[in-house]
Amino acid sequence: MTSHLGLMIVFAFFVSIVFATLMRDEPKQQLRFGAQLFAAFVVGGITLGWILYFFPL
Amino acid sequence: MRATTADREQSAIYTYLICLAAWAIPGAGHLLLGRIQKGVTFLVALTLMFLCGLWLEGRLFPLEIRQPLVALAALADMGIGVLFFIARGAGAGAGRVVALTYEYGNAFLIVAGLLNMLVVLDAFDITQGRK
Repeated sequence: MTSHLGLMIVFAFFVSIVFATLMRDEPKQQLRFGAQLFAAFVVGGITLGWILYFFPL
Repeated sequence: MRATTADREQSAIYTYLICLAAWAIPGAGHLLLGRIQKGVTFLVALTLMFLCGLWLEGRLFPLEIRQPLVALAALADMGIGVLFFIARGAGAGAGRVVALTYEYGNAFLIVAGLLNMLVVLDAFDITQGRK
């Protein structure tokens, strides 16, 4: 479990849990908001990775 | 009825104690305030995130004022509370720079500390009746 994608997913998972718990009070809302955040982090990360692919150092 | 100075002082001490507990043990502030579900979630998620950082061979930075960025990273690491000092005491978090996951480990450790600081602020808001 040391791939970039795997670690990014684990990182996004933890951050989503904490933010969702902080920002929503009801467990159902937390779950929904957490899932949205998690999806946004993962899709955003992959999209940003592909954009940067075209701008090599 | 107006609050007396003694009442206000007692309330301030209570707030500080809640914030101290929230910093020392992730989620403890919420648990003391009766927000059990939130407290348990913070306790499990932030502790696991911190342990992941150690497992990924991240470094618990020393508080070196001469190197401002290292000092800032150390302050962020310390945000996780007592876990930081237990890990340092146990000799964990030395950080192996050549490890493939070193930078990831640092990110996990630093962000776990910063997130716990947000949790402390949330506990403070609850004691002030804002939430």
